[in-house]
Amino acid sequence: MRPIQHKTPGILATLCLLAFLGLFSPLAESVCAQTAEAVQEPEQPHSFRAEVPERYRAFLQNYCTECHGVEKQKGKVRLDNISLKIDSLKSADEWAKVLNSLNAGDMPPEDSKQPDQSAKADFLEALSQTMVVARKTLSDQNGDITMRRLNRREYQNTLRELLGVEMDVGGLPSDGGADRFDTVGSSLFMSPDQFELYRELGRKALDLSFKLAIATPVPQKHHIEPEFELTEKMEKDLAYWNDIRKRYRKWSLQVDAAAKLPENAKIVAELREVSKATPAKFYLSWDKLQQAPPPKDYGFPDAIDANMMNERWDTHAPYLAEYLTQPKVKTGAYLAAANIQRWVNVRAPAQWPVGDYKARVRIAATKESPENRRFIDFLSNVSSAQVLSSHQVTGTIEEPQILEIPFRLEPGASRNFAIAEKSMLGNPDGFSFHDVLFGAGYQANRIGPEFAVWIDWIDLEGPYPSPGISKALAEMRAMLARFEKEPEAPRNFLVEFSERALRGRTPDAEFVDKLLRLYDIRRKDGDTPAEAIKEPLSVLLASPSFLYLAEPASDGKRRPLSGLELATRLSFFLWSAPPDAQLLTLAKNGALAKPDILAQQVERLLSDERSAQFTKAFVSQWLGISRLDFFQFNLKTHPNFDLPTKAACKEEVFQTFALLLRERESLTHLLKADFVVINGLLAGYYGIPDIRGDEFRRVTLPVDSPRGGLLGMAAILAMGGNGDQTSPVERGAWVLRKLLNDPPPPAPPNVPQLNRLAGKPLSTRERIAQHQEDAQCTQCHRKIDPIGFGLENFDAAGKWRTVDLRPDVPPEKRQIDPSGAFFKGAPFRNVYELRDLIAARPEKFAHGFTEALIEYGLGRPFGFSDQDLADEIVNWTKKNGFSLPEFIQALVASKAFHSK
Amino acid sequence: MQHPLSRRHFLKAAGSLIAIPALESMNFGTAAADSKTPRPKRMIFLGFGFGVTQETWFPDLQQTGRNYTLPEGLAPLARHKNEMTVVQGLSNQYSKDAHWGSTFWLTGANRFSEPGQSFHNTISTDQVAAQILGKETRYNSIHLNGGDPNIEGPGHGPGLSLSWNAAGKPVGGLNSPVLLFHKLFSEEKMPLEKRQLMLAQNRSVLDAVLTDAKKLQRNLTKTDTDKLSEYFQSIRELETRIAKEEQWLGVPNPKAPLPEPGANLRGREEVKLMYDLMAAAFQADSTRVFTYRQPIETMVKSLGVKIAAHDMSHYAPGERMEASQLRDRVQSELLAGLLDKLKASKEPDGSSLLDHTCVVYGSNLRTVHTLDNCPTIVAGGGAGVKMGEHIGLPKNTPLCNLWLTLLRGVGVDADRHGDSTGVVKELVA
Repeated sequence: MRPIQHKTPGILATLCLLAFLGLFSPLAESVCAQTAEAVQEPEQPHSFRAEVPERYRAFLQNYCTECHGVEKQKGKVRLDNISLKIDSLKSADEWAKVLNSLNAGDMPPEDSKQPDQSAKADFLEALSQTMVVARKTLSDQNGDITMRRLNRREYQNTLRELLGVEMDVGGLPSDGGADRFDTVGSSLFMSPDQFELYRELGRKALDLSFKLAIATPVPQKHHIEPEFELTEKMEKDLAYWNDIRKRYRKWSLQVDAAAKLPENAKIVAELREVSKATPAKFYLSWDKLQQAPPPKDYGFPDAIDANMMNERWDTHAPYLAEYLTQPKVKTGAYLAAANIQRWVNVRAPAQWPVGDYKARVRIAATKESPENRRFIDFLSNVSSAQVLSSHQVTGTIEEPQILEIPFRLEPGASRNFAIAEKSMLGNPDGFSFHDVLFGAGYQANRIGPEFAVWIDWIDLEGPYPSPGISKALAEMRAMLARFEKEPEAPRNFLVEFSERALRGRTPDAEFVDKLLRLYDIRRKDGDTPAEAIKEPLSVLLASPSFLYLAEPASDGKRRPLSGLELATRLSFFLWSAPPDAQLLTLAKNGALAKPDILAQQVERLLSDERSAQFTKAFVSQWLGISRLDFFQFNLKTHPNFDLPTKAACKEEVFQTFALLLRERESLTHLLKADFVVINGLLAGYYGIPDIRGDEFRRVTLPVDSPRGGLLGMAAILAMGGNGDQTSPVERGAWVLRKLLNDPPPPAPPNVPQLNRLAGKPLSTRERIAQHQEDAQCTQCHRKIDPIGFGLENFDAAGKWRTVDLRPDVPPEKRQIDPSGAFFKGAPFRNVYELRDLIAARPEKFAHGFTEALIEYGLGRPFGFSDQDLADEIVNWTKKNGFSLPEFIQALVASKAFHSK
Repeated sequence: MQHPLSRRHFLKAAGSLIAIPALESMNFGTAAADSKTPRPKRMIFLGFGFGVTQETWFPDLQQTGRNYTLPEGLAPLARHKNEMTVVQGLSNQYSKDAHWGSTFWLTGANRFSEPGQSFHNTISTDQVAAQILGKETRYNSIHLNGGDPNIEGPGHGPGLSLSWNAAGKPVGGLNSPVLLFHKLFSEEKMPLEKRQLMLAQNRSVLDAVLTDAKKLQRNLTKTDTDKLSEYFQSIRELETRIAKEEQWLGVPNPKAPLPEPGANLRGREEVKLMYDLMAAAFQADSTRVFTYRQPIETMVKSLGVKIAAHDMSHYAPGERMEASQLRDRVQSELLAGLLDKLKASKEPDGSSLLDHTCVVYGSNLRTVHTLDNCPTIVAGGGAGVKMGEHIGLPKNTPLCNLWLTLLRGVGVDADRHGDSTGVVKELVA
């Protein structure tokens, strides 16, 4: 296989015409054809009626009706009397054909009269937008919330809450689809295989839960002194290499001696000539010399091996020797870069049960270590080398720190872990950081790079189950104890468990009877009671009452939710997990219906750590963060954007949102802020001094910083590229969709590809300007591209730059010009002005955010029928300075949230 | 079950009212069957999502018929040129989503045809075929879904495999060769009686959840009832599976003709193994219908390409186009390997499996965002259509016309499929 070098980003990277539009955003199609007044003058008053403006009738008359009119109806298409209103599936299909043939360049035919590009672009834009509105109107669920099943995350969380176990649900089919949030019922399907998977998973979870409940593991400790293993290994390795060198010396001396013999003079002269450049090559031909001993006599299989091993001594032995002369090598271990073992093994005892543990690591950075090497990775194990977490080392040799690293022992998974310097183990994204680091160090001193991190000892402790898990296991233990006392009354057990599993509802009696039959079958087959009861329980965990969040209702009538239904909707919204005892109690005694109690509960749920589920799931889907995982980053051109940094960048988005939520701050800080929420790793990446440690915190920015807000976040900027080069198109479209709530229509199919400029020496901007030549492209790109150009001062990994180093850009065109203007709107000179223009109309952003929140929270696509609700929420929150928790309070307080 | 069962034993176990599986199935590999029995028809649908490099994948439309040159992207298929036909001009008229290479490929459905819904699909060709071709085998059809679900990006569109059931809902797919291997060849260790008991127990399980589902259904709105119908449908399908399992009770899985595949094989290796296992499954007659939604991201990665599949699909001359061409070639090589396997497997009458199998290879995406002239190759004698040809059909001939032609070719008596307007006459001799 020939690896393809990632050096020339395709010339037309951005000319792929609306490449990703609509594909990674749950909301791609969920927003109407509004335009952002702040930055773009509306072309038409926005309305939710899908109607092509009357003035485009002339376009049809000029270019279409000659063949598709009164007299002729080529292809049975008639456009002279076509209704401009798109109000039925039939008319939508007719107009879709018109749009498609124009986009494809099929119509008007080449030999007939052609519209000029701008008229065509205007018509295409109007028609595309109208089609979006039409599709949305026609697919509007009119407020109906489709009953939904638990998605993967919710199912996993539910098992944790109910059984006190963490299950791997990766085997279940992924949720969502058709660009929707994973809470949208209509996109959550069920299949026979899935039913069987639920049964299997439920069974495994029950096995584990019973086991842990019956024999609750007592926390244990395991102490590791890494030097016991490592120092001895380094000594052995050094001896090994020195032995090689010694044997080689002996052998080569013998060969040299033979070379001096007169009978070898002729051949030696020849050989010396050939090996002039690399004298060691001479020894490869030892067998041509009389009386030279074979390398076998000195322990080498052949001369090639002998030469190679001798040469490798240079890059191993001095570094090993250096290691062994480090001051703290007797009491701890240093992390190395390459060629010698570069990790410390962290082996948990094999008999330890599954669960949550922590590693307490006494660790320090050496004096010589550069700031950017004071980081470690905690990894799954050496062979798979999955980074589980990354940490900054702030301790010094004089004053080491105790770093606490949580980790989990999973069923069936390896109990071996490792600690290495950040990105030094494994080969993430196919790039060997350790070789680069070692190479640089070796170049400088012929030994290797300085040792940056020292580990004194590691204590493994646990299991320390989370309070939620402890509670679930304790409840299970109590239930099992009662069951044990009356094993012939499994009904009680089953009913009690079902009520918990069914979120407070009482299971149907006939269903319980049928479940009990399964218990009897298992008992007859010889199972113990505790074993037999697992069968009906596992079936319950695959039953519709458990899997679906059902809200019975009759067609056409809205009804208020019951207390339990409201509690369930609320907890799945903010926790992605079932309601807890407090919520259930308030639901049952009717208190939850009171607005003040409900508002208090919202606050309580948001301040519970389970709300991290909401933040992560909602934010990543809303902003389309998963796109960061769709491509590898070119680490040659972006060496600092390694996997731990990428992970921290993603985390920044979540942590910022969580902070705004926690501190009741304004949503608009996501458009512009004088602070960032970062940890030490990111501070280094952004060049912000004096911030150290793993925890994310608010850091005030200098006045001229381009950071602050989504448009300054590396994760967001890196999504707008391909891991190597930026994509102004990608970024522009993202801004329109997410920040200005003016999404371009989905990428049209069958648009001819533009390749005219392939291979020409142009700047990125000039290349993309090609979009302006063709109406099919211009209709959207005239809005998209200028915004993207404005962000060009950030490279493909979100770092600041002033020149575009893209290899196909000629040197004289490298200087970045970020200036531009919104289409038919305000001009900007740079990213600061661009950002300020966007931040000047927060309503647009708030509206888009609210639409996403409604879709996620109610579990149905945002429709035009939700427009009033969204307006109300935005108006309400605006009065409260767009305080983030107010959006959630407003949605939860809305009638829609309380109605089926 | 180490020893082959007698036919009598089988009949006793299976009861007398059910169809009897073809004899070869029971004593696979031990004896030749009646060579006069018509050989069963089989189908394989291979969908690769993101389209091809159009400049180097499609044969020149000036050269149709038998005398055409295989372009670079198809060159590895040269040895099978007479056993395959390349068809151009096909498309699904309703397909408009520019990255959905698989969702509607075998269905031809109109995404927007249901009011109040933004997604709708209909039954896929393979599921229509499976209703007939699946009658005599252990599995009606097997659906594979390649790649690592956690990193597969776009390219296929929504769905869980290429297959969609009669209600237009996605059918799940096995996503690794190991799972497929176990499904086909894992040895049943449980004694017969115990398994009978387990099947009975599974029926009780279904009965229990059905009771629950019926209770739940009582007060639901129409949309919710529709949603719950997916659950009912799943239970019905599981009941059918149990019936089938009972029918096959006592018939051991065939011995594996190849070793168990290693875990975590991705990309090229995954496809190769899946192909080997498909051929083995046909030899063992475990099923007669396969669909395989092939890996994209992992395929590209396994070729040493560091560009995301999406970027590759938006190729322009240079690195990305080379990557796209490399992928075309490797996929053609792999397909050629599958055809080799099928050709090398001899049926009792001396013909080859390939003579009775219809292999379809293609995507709903041609290239980039283009959804017309969907890349289409039909191979093998299963559907009795013309082989060795390069056929250029009129632009935008419904893809469903091809599906209808193939369905009829394998003996499924269908009037239409999707938006078909008739069979593809050019393919019928």
